[in-house]
Amino acid sequence: MSVLEVRDLSIRFGGLQALQDVSLDVNEFEIVGLIGPNGAGKTTAFNCITGFYKPGTGRVTYRGRDVTQVPPHKKAAMGFGRTFQNVGMVKTSTVLENLKTAQHARIGYDVSAGLIGAPAVGREERELADKADAILELLGLEDVRNLRVGGLSYGTLKLLELGCALATEPDILLLDEPSSGMGPDEAHQLGERLIDLRQAFGLTMLLIEHHVPLVLSVCDHVYVLNFGRLLAEGPPSVIQTHPEVVAAYLGGEAPEALDATEETDEDAALDAQLGHHEVTPDDAPTEVIESPPAEPKPRRTAAKSTTRPRGKTAAESREEKAAAAKKGAKR
Amino acid sequence: MTMTTPEGAVLTVDEAPGEDFRPGSVGLVGRGFVWVGLGVALLLPMLTVDFAQACSLAAIYAIVGLSLNIVVGYTGQLSLGHQGFLGLGALTAANIVFKLKVPFYIGIVGGIAAATVAAVVLGLVALRITGLYLSLITLVFGTAIASSLFSLGSLTRNGSGVPANRPDAVSTNARYYLLCLLVMLVIFYLDTRLTASKTGRALLAIKENERVAEAFGIGVTSYKLLAFGLSGAIAGLAGGLFAFRSQTYAAQDFTETGLSLALLFVVMVVVGGLGNRVGVVIAAAFFALLNYLLDKLFISWHAFRHLVEHVPVLNGYYGPNKGALAGLIGAVLLLQTLIFNPGGIGESVAPIQRWLKGKRFSLHDDSASAGPGAVEGSSVRA
Repeated sequence: MSVLEVRDLSIRFGGLQALQDVSLDVNEFEIVGLIGPNGAGKTTAFNCITGFYKPGTGRVTYRGRDVTQVPPHKKAAMGFGRTFQNVGMVKTSTVLENLKTAQHARIGYDVSAGLIGAPAVGREERELADKADAILELLGLEDVRNLRVGGLSYGTLKLLELGCALATEPDILLLDEPSSGMGPDEAHQLGERLIDLRQAFGLTMLLIEHHVPLVLSVCDHVYVLNFGRLLAEGPPSVIQTHPEVVAAYLGGEAPEALDATEETDEDAALDAQLGHHEVTPDDAPTEVIESPPAEPKPRRTAAKSTTRPRGKTAAESREEKAAAAKKGAKR
Repeated sequence: MTMTTPEGAVLTVDEAPGEDFRPGSVGLVGRGFVWVGLGVALLLPMLTVDFAQACSLAAIYAIVGLSLNIVVGYTGQLSLGHQGFLGLGALTAANIVFKLKVPFYIGIVGGIAAATVAAVVLGLVALRITGLYLSLITLVFGTAIASSLFSLGSLTRNGSGVPANRPDAVSTNARYYLLCLLVMLVIFYLDTRLTASKTGRALLAIKENERVAEAFGIGVTSYKLLAFGLSGAIAGLAGGLFAFRSQTYAAQDFTETGLSLALLFVVMVVVGGLGNRVGVVIAAAFFALLNYLLDKLFISWHAFRHLVEHVPVLNGYYGPNKGALAGLIGAVLLLQTLIFNPGGIGESVAPIQRWLKGKRFSLHDDSASAGPGAVEGSSVRA
C-alpha cells in the first residue's frame, strides 16, 4: 500500500492555476523526487500535501485515510515531517530548544502539568533533551547544541532543519530542497545521509530537489512538474534523458546537455565500472518508461527493491504519460 | 584540574569558562549575602504604612507585566487592552464580595474567571487578525469596556465606588503587601515553569513563525487562545488585588486613565525586555513606584523641587496633570531602550542573575555562545 497517495490535486491562486490534476504516489520506504523548473508548483504541492494550503480539488490519502482537510499540526502528529525551502526553525532559540520544540506532538504531559512543574515534566524534558542529543550526534552536529540558531551557517541550518524534522518522529518526510546552499560534495554526503536515515528510521521520503546528481543517486522514482502539471514520471535514469524534461529545464536545448552539465565525473565513472550503458536520447525508452535499464546505481540495491507495485489508476495514468512522452519525442 | 595521561605526564587543563564552575567559599558567601539582601529588601516595605501601599501596587503591576509578557513577549501579539482585564478583575471581585457577601478569595477567583472569559473572547478575534489590526482591536476592547461596563451605575454604586474591604488576615497595608508579593512570586514561578515546558516553546515558535510551529505539530489556534486566556486570568487576578488594595472599586481608575494605563503596561514590558520576566518585574515595580518616589523627592529635596518648578518642560508637574513627569520619564526610558538597549532591563541585569545562580560572573552568556563543553548538563550525559 502506498504511504502517500495524491490524486488530481488542483489549486488556483487568483488567475494562476498553480497546480492542475497532479497525482503522485509514494510507497513504503521509497525516496521519491519532485523536480521541475522554478515556479512549477513543487512547493505548492508540498503545502497542499502537508495541509498548509487547502487544495481546490483533489484528494490526499495517507495510509488509506483521506487527510485532505487535516490541518498541518495534526498531520505533523500523524507522521508528516517537513522542511521548508528557506529554513523553518525558531531562530532566536538554541539548537537544543529547537529540537525539543520539534518533538512537541510527542510530549505526553499536558499544559497544566507543565505549568505547575509536575515531576513527570522534568523526566520527560530530560528524555526530550536525550533524543535531541541523539539526533545531533547522528548528524554530527554536537558542536552547535547550545548555539542560537540565528547565527549558524546556511548549510548547517539545512542539516539542522532535517534534524528537527526527524525529531517530529515522522513516518514520511517531505524535504523542500534539502541540498540548497550546499556544494557538490556536501550534497553528495547528504544523499548518503538520506539513504542511511531511511534505513535507520524506516522512513519514506518525498523530496523537492534541484541538484540533479542528488536526485539521480537517491531517488527511486521521480515526478517532474512543469507549469503546475505533471510533465513526466519514472525512474531517475529515464527522467534524466526524458526529452520533455530536458526541454523544460533547458528551454528546448539538446537532451545531452543535461547529462553533460549535471552528471558528475564520479557518477560517470561508476557507470563505466558497472558497464552501465549510458542512455542516449536515440535509444531512450520512450515506449514504456516503467521498466528502468537493469539496476542503474549500486547504492539502491542496499536499500530496498525498486520494483514498484502500483495501483491500477497509477499504471493507467503512466501509460497515458508514456504515450504523451512518445508524442513529444516524435515532435 | 589535573589529570594523568597513560604515559605518566601530568596535564593541567584550564577550566573552560562555565564548565562545571563551582563558586568558591567566598563566592558562595557573597552570593548568599546578596540573596538574603534581596529577600530582606523585599520585606522592608512592610515596616512603613504608605510605602507598603506603594509597593503593593508595584507587586500588582509586576503581575500585570508578567501577564502581558505572555501575550506580547512570548506569543508576539501586541495587546493594548490589558487595563480592560485588570478593570474587569477589580470590578468583578469587588462586586461579588460586596453584594454576595462571599469571602475575599472567592471574589478574587471570580475576578480571574471574568477576565479569563473576556480574554478568550478577545483571543478568538486574535486568531483571525494579527499585527496592527490586532492591537487596534484590543485597544477598542479596552476603551469600550471602560466606557460601558466599568461605569455602569449598578456595578459602581452610581459612581460612588464599590467598597472592597480586606479580610482581617491581610487588613493592614503591610500584610496586604506581603500577600501581593507572595502572589507575584507564585506567578513568577509559574512563568518559569511555562517557559521551561512545551507550552513556552510552542508560544515562542508561534511568535516567530506560525508555519514552522504547525510543521512541528503545534496547534497554533489552541496555543494562541491559551496564551490569551492565561494572560487574562493573571491580569484578572491582579485586578482583584488592585481593588482590595485601594479598598474600593472606583471606575475612574480604569476609565479616566484607561489608555495611558494600557500604554504604561506595554512600556513596562518593552523597557523590562520582551519575554524577560526578571526585567519585566523590575520595570513594572519601577513604574509603579515612580509617582510615589517623585512625590517624596519633591517634598524632601529642594533642588529637585526647584528644577521641577522652573524648568518649562517640567513645571506642569504638581499641577493639574500630576503624572506628566512620570510620563516623560517613561517616554525617555522607552526611547533609550529601543535605541540603545533592545534587550531591556532584563538583558542588563542578566550577568548579575547568572552570577546569583552560581555561575562565573561574565557579561556574556557562556551557555549560549561558547562551544561544546561550556554547557551545563552535556558533560553529565556523556
